[in-house]
Amino acid sequence: MQLESSERTSPMSEPTETALVRLEDVHLSFGQTQVLKGIDLTVNRGDAVSIIGPSGSGKSTILRCINALVQPQSGQITVGGTRVDQLTRETERIALRKRVGIVFQQYNLFPHLTVLDNIVLAPTRILGAERRATEVFARELLEKVRLSDKAKAYPGELSGGQQQRVAIARALAMKPELVLFDEVTSALDPETVGEVLWVIRDLIREGMTSILVTHEMRFAEEISDTVVFTENGRVVASGTPEQIFRGSDNSRIRQFVGGLSGGRSAARNGDALPDPMP
Amino acid sequence: MPDFNVTDLFVSLTSRIGLNYEFLSTGYEAQIWRDGFATTLFLIVLLIPVSLVFGLVFAACLTSGRLWLSVPVRAFVEVTRNTPTLVQLMFSFLVLNTFVSSLVGGVQNNPLSPFFWVVAVVGLHIAALHAEAIRAGIEAVPASTVEAARGIGFSPLQILRYVEVPLAFRASLPAIVNNLINLVKLTTVGNAIAVSEITYASIMVWTQRDNVVSLMIVILLFFSLINFVVARLGLWVERRLAVPGYGL
Amino acid sequence: MRTQIQQPRTGSRILRNGAFVALPLVVLLSAVADPTLGRELLQWVPYLASGFMMNVVIALSAMTLGTVIGALFGMLSLAPFRLVRYPVAAYVQLFRNAPHLVLIFATTYIFPFEIVIYGTYLPFPDWVKAVIGLAIPASAYVAEITRGAILSIPTTQWEAAKGLGFSHGQALRWIILPQCLRRSLPPWMNVLASITMGTALASLVGVHELLHAATDASTAVRRLDFTIIAYLVVMAAFFTLCYPISRLTRRMEGRFHAA
Repeated sequence: MQLESSERTSPMSEPTETALVRLEDVHLSFGQTQVLKGIDLTVNRGDAVSIIGPSGSGKSTILRCINALVQPQSGQITVGGTRVDQLTRETERIALRKRVGIVFQQYNLFPHLTVLDNIVLAPTRILGAERRATEVFARELLEKVRLSDKAKAYPGELSGGQQQRVAIARALAMKPELVLFDEVTSALDPETVGEVLWVIRDLIREGMTSILVTHEMRFAEEISDTVVFTENGRVVASGTPEQIFRGSDNSRIRQFVGGLSGGRSAARNGDALPDPMP
Repeated sequence: MPDFNVTDLFVSLTSRIGLNYEFLSTGYEAQIWRDGFATTLFLIVLLIPVSLVFGLVFAACLTSGRLWLSVPVRAFVEVTRNTPTLVQLMFSFLVLNTFVSSLVGGVQNNPLSPFFWVVAVVGLHIAALHAEAIRAGIEAVPASTVEAARGIGFSPLQILRYVEVPLAFRASLPAIVNNLINLVKLTTVGNAIAVSEITYASIMVWTQRDNVVSLMIVILLFFSLINFVVARLGLWVERRLAVPGYGL
Repeated sequence: MRTQIQQPRTGSRILRNGAFVALPLVVLLSAVADPTLGRELLQWVPYLASGFMMNVVIALSAMTLGTVIGALFGMLSLAPFRLVRYPVAAYVQLFRNAPHLVLIFATTYIFPFEIVIYGTYLPFPDWVKAVIGLAIPASAYVAEITRGAILSIPTTQWEAAKGLGFSHGQALRWIILPQCLRRSLPPWMNVLASITMGTALASLVGVHELLHAATDASTAVRRLDFTIIAYLVVMAAFFTLCYPISRLTRRMEGRFHAA
């Protein structure tokens, strides 16, 4: 039913069956401050979309709209057939958040639990999964993020990059349909950024639908299917990485992209990221 | 007399909701009760400066680095913090007071009243708490600041006076205000040695009039009000002394 | 001055161990010096000991009752409904500012000396009234501690919990409250020490506890040296209870800050 209603409102767009996430003309204000001034975004199933732009352009707020952590004043948000902007009860929003994973800039691991317990907590307590089976799955996830030996460690004993990888594993433990990454490498020192990006790239290659807010231009160029440039709460440009990073007519975009990756000739040569953990 | 009518009005209004304040209309009981209020207020007003002065003295002794000063003070602080004030008061009154009496040749020559003992015991107890708070504040002063002061050529006492105490005082102000609130509450121990503060006076009234609840309400509101005032004053002092970079 | 901070610590260790040895020594010496004193002391020890038991019982009961109610009120003070928050805040403000003695008087004089349940008369002993009288301020302190602890957990923890799909109640139960427990422990132990010392106030309403027992004994024996030793024993008994608690609290606070 909900698929039909979104079809009705956007007759010109692609078949909505492949679009996992769709935002249409979303406006959001915090008090007097208008943060989103009409955001349009489409993310197809299996795609990786990077959102780039100057600070304060509302990028993180877009992510938080998608999993109903914040509510827009107007506009439509559809995630996998559910009209997120029409959810009224908290129980409905909670049900949505079980299907959408999110990884934060500050990792936000639970300090009183071991790494394994951090990953296992949500599936067992929320989904009622059986503990032993969940632990096996958790160890598989730890292996995927290359932290198998840290299962019994506490977050306080890990480096920032390791904590972030655990945070990714924790989000994956709920088997979400899509994962949101909110500037997940911004708080890390440059040496550990690579290990986290490696994990995300693996994930995207396996087909996980991902929306990333990031400042890592080279990475965004490498792994994205679509790149979206936002400024002042609006989508200024949206297209393939080549269109945005190489061939953009917009001088603002060229200035932003050039400024951030200035001096990194590798970006222009199109080098891939080296493997930090061979 | 105008306030006679106000009293009657108050008594009749409150009796409608079941509270008994009739004793206010009689001369004797009302006088005792008002004196109780006054005594408590007098105790508080006296105790605050006494505790602060001795608190500073104790803090100076504790951080002096001289064992003959710090050890006795530390012993006193630990004992007074970990034993009930009531016990300290009764010990002082029953034992120390008797010693003083025998020294001056009899109870009639003893100038120290129960009121004095309450001020002494409660004052020194709270002073010990202040001392701990100020000591923590002094230890929180960065070593680099003290080193700079030494480099300039200040003596240890000058460093204490011009550098450590001003900073330590700001840092320990919340704890000191907390202690003062405890001080206000502690004045009630005077009850045990027949100092006619507010609870003692109230007992005298309610054993006659059986209006415990009515008097309790007044006492609770009274202490809430006083502590509110103390907390507000503390906040005002904190704001007046605030310097950027320290605390809020 | 920094290095000299070390010295008072070793000084206090000598003091600590010395104090624990000094009192029994004093008692022993006075008992030996004057055998009649020794006999009186021995006679009264069981009476004093039973009084001390009462202090412990009152303290533990009041803390248990106060902690349960206080933790509940602390959580309620953060409820989204003003009708719940305001009365709880009023309760906490009123009873944090009330002297313990006043509350013990209140419960002793207001509650009846016996209560009737379904026709049977149950005595309402004074010590139970003292327990309630001390549980009230304990609950107010614990409510403040709980509220402070919950508020001190960074909002990012709530965000992470919600992001995974936890409801508010689930997040509170599995993620927020377990972290609160650790940081509430030092202030809670301060309340424990405070309430333990407050049990001495029960003597003023006739409860047979240690201070009351010591006063009884002193008035019975009518000897100044006995009175001195009796009160020293009372102070030593409370000291033995409260001093370890305060040391433990300070050590925990230190470890918590380091963590």
